[in-house]
Amino acid sequence: MSLTLYDYELDENGYKVRLLLGALGLPHATVAVDMIPGAEQTRAPLIDLNPLGTLPILVDGETVLREAEAILLYLAQRFDPGGPWLPREPDAFGRTMAWLVFAARDLHAATLARRTAMFDVPGDAIALERASRDAFRAMEDHMVLQAIADAGFFVGATATLADLALFPAFALSRDHGIDHEAYPALRRWARRVRALPGFRTMPGIPDYH
Amino acid sequence: MSDPGQPQGWYAVALAADLDPGTSAGTRLFGAELVVWRDAAGSAHVWEDRCPHRGMRLSFGFVRGDHIACLYHGWQYDAAGQCRYIPAHPDLAVSPMIRARTYASLERLGLVWAAWGEEPGPPPDAGADSLTPLRSLYLDRPAARVRTAFADASKGGLASGLLRTTLAEIPVLVAVQPLADDRCAAHFLIDRPSDALTRSDRARVASACMAWRRSVEARSGERAAS
Ligand code: FES
Repeated sequence: MSLTLYDYELDENGYKVRLLLGALGLPHATVAVDMIPGAEQTRAPLIDLNPLGTLPILVDGETVLREAEAILLYLAQRFDPGGPWLPREPDAFGRTMAWLVFAARDLHAATLARRTAMFDVPGDAIALERASRDAFRAMEDHMVLQAIADAGFFVGATATLADLALFPAFALSRDHGIDHEAYPALRRWARRVRALPGFRTMPGIPDYH
Repeated sequence: MSDPGQPQGWYAVALAADLDPGTSAGTRLFGAELVVWRDAAGSAHVWEDRCPHRGMRLSFGFVRGDHIACLYHGWQYDAAGQCRYIPAHPDLAVSPMIRARTYASLERLGLVWAAWGEEPGPPPDAGADSLTPLRSLYLDRPAARVRTAFADASKGGLASGLLRTTLAEIPVLVAVQPLADDRCAAHFLIDRPSDALTRSDRARVASACMAWRRSVEARSGERAAS
């Protein structure tokens, strides 16, 4: 086995994958890509690995994958079959997938808001902030109901890929001016994610717990 | 310091159950930034959210035992707000002048309360002690708007400023926290002991809370600019 992750340290999508690599304790090589400002991923040789010109990219032998959520699914299937990260039971599987879609679609606003705030990437900051707040509010409402059901994570009592895909945007929201004031249930959930074995931080997420 | 236009008194700033020992959270009261934190022994504290060193927000920091530490240069403050440790000068006896500004606070009825103003009056006491905390809702609406939304349903407030209403046919109490001119938090408590409630009761009230929020936001038109 030889895993290689093409990654930009400040990118929260790459961080999703790093969280799972840490949780599964998988040895891997990292190739640091100059995404901002270099946009190296949009030129040869990386554009040949991923014609969409996005990060992260995972290479595992003949397998080349893009999209953080797809990489999470791949790693869970390959290295944790039958394990907790991707539940097999149909209901829990469906709900895990729903939150992975949410992470890639609804929560993408927070990724863009952060790039606009931190790296001067063009974007409609007001619209992105509103969309980010809407996404965080949907997450908060969900975790309030989960707490009533005695479930500490997004899908159930134990962490799944959903938690790893959702954590980065919330943990980094202060980078684009969204404080955690309005999200008490998410604050408590984030502490549980931080306590998972193999958890790692990234720049912007203080290492104090 | 409180503005004369703002009513002095005790204000709920968090559900006690949402503040785990050894954690901190930022919030606001009338626009003033506050840090609410709970030490490892379980006592809650409400301070101005400003580190005396360079004014960074203490709520970004972390709690160690009965101290809160600032994230930026690691200055540590004891439960009374006195700075006790400066990492860059570990052997220095810290001047008693270096203190964080604290607010009087207490925990009652499942809420953390902070005193606003020089004469906040007597601390909250609803005469009820068997309440079940539900959740806090944060709205881009002025506190007055939220209080009005309860006016029809409210069957008389309590001395502590808690509003009384019914959600999903279950009695609830609501404490409104004015965050800023255009924002507030509503802290919901169920007026029943937790052993008298099933999980599905609590889930029903929680869903009714969200429906209530939708109606408040719809009634007052476009959401205020964030
Ligand atoms: S600003 Fe808090 S320690 Fe420097």
